[in-house]
Amino acid sequence: MKIPAFLALLATALLPASLVARDAPKSALQNYVPWQDDTVHAFENLLVQQDGRVKPVYTVARFTLLQFLGKSNVSFQTQDGENHRLHYAAWFLDVLFRGEIAKDLPVFVVDDSEVVVQIGVSPKSKRDRYSYNELLPGRAKLAELGAQYGEKQRQYEQSEKDPQYELDRVEGMILTLGRNISSFEYLVGQFGFARQDGFLVNANILPPELLELSKRLVTLEMLDKMPEMTLDQLVQTIRQQPGGTEEERMFSGALRLFFFHANSARGLNFFPPQDADNEVWGSAGDLLLAALESKEQRPWAKEQLAGIQDLVDAQKEGEPAFLAALQAYSQKQHETAEARGEGHRSKLEIQLYRGKWFSNSLVCFVLAFVVMAFSWLTPGSRTGRRLLLVAGILAFVGLALNVYGITLRSIIRERPPITNLYDTVLFITGTAVLLGLFIEYCTRLGVGTLVAVFSGLLGMFLAMKYEAKEATDTITQLVAVLDTNFWLATHVTIINIGYAAGLVAAIIALVYLTSRFAALFHGRENAEFHRALTRMNYGVICFCLFFSLVGTVLGGIWANYSWGRFWGWDPKENGALMICLWTLVILHGRMAGWIRDIGVHMNSLVLAIIVTFSWWGVNNLGVGLHSYGFTEGVWGALYSSWAVLGLFMAMGAAVWRRERKTRAERKAPPAAGRPATA
Amino acid sequence: MAKAPKQTKDWSPKSWPLRAYRLFTSFKLATVVLVLMTVVTLLGTLGQVEHGLHAAKEKYFHSFYFVETIKGIPLLLPGGLLLMLLLFVNMTLGAIVKVKKRWKGAGLLISHFGMLMLLAGGFVTWAFSTDGYMALYPGMTSNRVESYREWQLEIAPLSKEGVGEKAWIYPSERLDTMRSDEQRVIHAESLPFDVVINGYSRNATPVPTSAPIAAGVTGKEIDGFKLSPQKASKEAEQNLPGCFLEIRPKDGSPPIEAILWAGSYKFDPREKPMPFTFTVGDQLYGALLMKKSWTVPFEVRLDEFLFERHPGVSTARNYESRVTRLEASQPDKALEIKMNEPMRYAGYTFFQESFGPSGSQPGDEMFSQFAVANNPADQWPLWSLVVTGVGLGVHFLVMLVNFTVRSRQRTAPPSAKP
Amino acid sequence: MAAALLSLLLPACGERDTPGLVERPLSASEQEFRLVDSSMERFRYSTRPAAPADESSKPTGLVYDTPEGWTEKPGSPMRDVNFTFGENGEGECYVARLPGSGGGLAANVNRWRAQMGAAPLSDEEVAALPTRPLFGQPARFVAVDGPFSPGMGSNETFPDYRLVGLILSADAGAVFVKMTGPKPLVEENGAAFDQFVSSLDVNLN
Repeated sequence: MKIPAFLALLATALLPASLVARDAPKSALQNYVPWQDDTVHAFENLLVQQDGRVKPVYTVARFTLLQFLGKSNVSFQTQDGENHRLHYAAWFLDVLFRGEIAKDLPVFVVDDSEVVVQIGVSPKSKRDRYSYNELLPGRAKLAELGAQYGEKQRQYEQSEKDPQYELDRVEGMILTLGRNISSFEYLVGQFGFARQDGFLVNANILPPELLELSKRLVTLEMLDKMPEMTLDQLVQTIRQQPGGTEEERMFSGALRLFFFHANSARGLNFFPPQDADNEVWGSAGDLLLAALESKEQRPWAKEQLAGIQDLVDAQKEGEPAFLAALQAYSQKQHETAEARGEGHRSKLEIQLYRGKWFSNSLVCFVLAFVVMAFSWLTPGSRTGRRLLLVAGILAFVGLALNVYGITLRSIIRERPPITNLYDTVLFITGTAVLLGLFIEYCTRLGVGTLVAVFSGLLGMFLAMKYEAKEATDTITQLVAVLDTNFWLATHVTIINIGYAAGLVAAIIALVYLTSRFAALFHGRENAEFHRALTRMNYGVICFCLFFSLVGTVLGGIWANYSWGRFWGWDPKENGALMICLWTLVILHGRMAGWIRDIGVHMNSLVLAIIVTFSWWGVNNLGVGLHSYGFTEGVWGALYSSWAVLGLFMAMGAAVWRRERKTRAERKAPPAAGRPATA
Repeated sequence: MAKAPKQTKDWSPKSWPLRAYRLFTSFKLATVVLVLMTVVTLLGTLGQVEHGLHAAKEKYFHSFYFVETIKGIPLLLPGGLLLMLLLFVNMTLGAIVKVKKRWKGAGLLISHFGMLMLLAGGFVTWAFSTDGYMALYPGMTSNRVESYREWQLEIAPLSKEGVGEKAWIYPSERLDTMRSDEQRVIHAESLPFDVVINGYSRNATPVPTSAPIAAGVTGKEIDGFKLSPQKASKEAEQNLPGCFLEIRPKDGSPPIEAILWAGSYKFDPREKPMPFTFTVGDQLYGALLMKKSWTVPFEVRLDEFLFERHPGVSTARNYESRVTRLEASQPDKALEIKMNEPMRYAGYTFFQESFGPSGSQPGDEMFSQFAVANNPADQWPLWSLVVTGVGLGVHFLVMLVNFTVRSRQRTAPPSAKP
Repeated sequence: MAAALLSLLLPACGERDTPGLVERPLSASEQEFRLVDSSMERFRYSTRPAAPADESSKPTGLVYDTPEGWTEKPGSPMRDVNFTFGENGEGECYVARLPGSGGGLAANVNRWRAQMGAAPLSDEEVAALPTRPLFGQPARFVAVDGPFSPGMGSNETFPDYRLVGLILSADAGAVFVKMTGPKPLVEENGAAFDQFVSSLDVNLN
């Protein structure tokens, strides 16, 4: 096998480039005192209910920072010249308990400085990270533009994607930044009710007299001083001009402040409800309003909120006190949750993310790729074979890490491995790597290793990108119809094995076509190797057919079982059907004598196009029962990958023409007047 | 691949049956049909974006041919029905009849047989199955299943209280073939009048003439209304047809005219349909467009409907119905119908489909809607899957063993070979 | 040309006599019908007659009666007609029109629901919303209770509000009539809302 050696050099040259970190942005902070590890660990296992699921705050922190920054660590340099690197859990601890520091941390990534220019903030470099305080001068403008673009976006959706309403790149980024700033404000304001030090999300938010008032009032104490009025009446009160007396103005101000705190503390649901049958956890804001509304709930709500008050007070006393308070709070919260049957997998979930199984798996595949590339420098030699073996072993380790991560995810949610689009990426990658390694075990041609390493590299990279781009929790709740472990375990798993096989067939085809194309130039055809590749690909296509067919029919049986129709021509069903049909086309076309070696490989590329369309494309058609997991930018990625496959098909076509020509020349007797060049 | 000896082209009619047999048993036909099926499936998938599921299904899959315009060029393509028929014939003749019966080919023979079963099942489903829905509030009992999108004209003699005992129906299969510019006069021996239908529109809205928009609506005005035809909805279930009705009494008294609109039927299982009423002789009659319906041989009573959401979010987690099945000769049977757990009985299957009314707040009374299917080929796919799976399994296992054995021989050092 | 050929091929579009009425008994669950007097009722329009058009022509081209206790405010690009009511003007009611298809009815309904913190409705649920006449057309009627967040850019939320509104989505354009305010106040003004809606008309002069 001849693969240009420069690939190996390229692979090694690329590595260091990705390791060079950019300079950390400067922060306005004079210095930064990091949290002790114990404190962060005590904090990260606090429970929050979000998106219908109870999870550790660790997960919430991770995806919040991913959303703001696109990364899981905050790097910055303080004025004293120190460099700091904050883990998301530590950052979230700052956001909730040291808001004044969090506001100076550069966590908002801005991809185009035009965005900050438009909101009237002086830009740093073209792509840079900003802190909340740096963006604060443009806050009002950002809100205004955000509202404007939000409206435009809505019209775009309403007008069924009329291009005149489509947001351009900068407008889209302003909208996103506006949303991120707003959710940051909610997070910072989460425990504002428990502080009297005048710290507020944004000093412009309240008129000065209320700001003064906020330093004198204890929110929780106000609860008992409220008059006997309904929530409606209280709301009416703050909407009226207060009367002339100092007392009335004071009351009106206090009430407004109370509603302000209650409103700022929405979003993070820390509190399991009092009633065991109620499944909805509450945020501090919910509890404040509940306590205001009902006298019955007031003692319970006050007790819960006092727990947060204790945490906030303890934090001011110093880290040892804070640690103790956190541990006590966490223990109590876990006891309550576990009595309700919730939150008992939170430690495992932290382990899932802390272990970085998937990014470590990616590292293994990158290393395997480098090693494999070196093996191509000395093909066939003993060193080459050894290097290939090492690459195979590295790929195996990558697979093991991937499988371990998938297993953890399955245990955490008590579901089979695949429940959403992100899961399919992990699973299909794992399956493709396994297939590649199996092929290598059977054939020892190096191609299996190549398949394993290439699909592992691509798949784990895609998984990482997908997670960072979506930036929402990937362990999701299921809609009612998917709520069946049996069918998820059978139909969904099997159909995805079929997808994986279809992609593996394409990778083999790529190797085959590259090798044949290269032979056009250096002229040394390795016929034996090529025949082996064709046999291999044929086997994988049969494998793909078996799983796609069984998976598709199983899906139909499930649909018949739960909706009453076996087949409904739903886009996802059609996608699976097209995979089955195209594998059948390959098998029957071969029997018909219409396609041979090169035809099988070329058609594998078509199969790959169908697989990717079925896997990613149909979800984004916006019709059908399976149109879950909407992701922006998928079509662009699909088109470019199809263009690459098209390029290889063109290469294949060139090889095919040459082959036909030589065969025709061989068959035809040399024509008179023309020398035979066989 | 069989190496046929070079044949001289024999176009005499005598050779045609043989040629046809060769064609229909060939791998080439199979390949062409499979390629076309892939293309049609792709077009049918993309077509759903524009036409909606139902229309796309009818155009691409339930058809013998269709015309697709790609970049302004009209192309005549075979429809799904034709392709599946061809595939069925090809598979029967080629893979079952003609194929040499050898042990090595046993797996493939079995799997092709399974696929034939699947196609046959599909055909039986397409031709003979019915599907409809039944919506019930707790406490309601019914044996009547309504069609999702087939409407029929119904005329019933009514008492003064609005109760009827029998009705005359213009069936949906006929009504559905009407064009908007067509007029049909329907005679009925047993009724004292003839019925005339015209201006039938698959989706329409009655517009009061006082509304500004009515100025743009052509067509007859009756009782302060015009009928404004609308573009058919992508979701065929949402179409509400309308038409003009004329009653011509046989005794020569003047004809009676009305606009009928499907919206006068019911949106909620508790509503009573609102017919257009008229009197001929001394008898009161009601006429309306209503959904086609049929009965199942037992009654279902909804005892309780349970509905829950995931905590704090809008996704429905589960909804299920507690029902009792009532049958004359049998004791009453209490059951649960929920997602993935339908009730199968007497050839009918009741699925938990949806719920209503829309916008109901927690605490409001809700109705439960069941999809009711009757499909003689209900279980065929399962059997065919077993057959095909076994067949393919056997075949690929044989192939895999061959493949690994051969690969090992090839990769083994040459000295190992004798 | 093609059309002419086509019309030759099709059977003449005249009157055709066809057999076809099939007699069948009505089962117990289908025997009862609701007798209604008028097409208005049969077609689900409310039977209240539309108020006569206002003489004075408004710049928006809309004519209407201002209900008692409502104060008209200047319109804006998004709002053709704008009212406040209640002691401190906390209740709001406006009419907005959008050209073009008006987009999806469901999207609009769910946008309103989101403002009230309510879960979105599925398309089927939206399609089954009750209708009320607006400009003589059947408009979808939406009523939601909950905490009201007026929109983006504002973090303010008013608890226990009620939103009542009509959405008319036709090919010619979409019309929205929306009333928001504290729940008791909105309930109090329900009749005024109905009166206002029924008085709305387009001045064609």
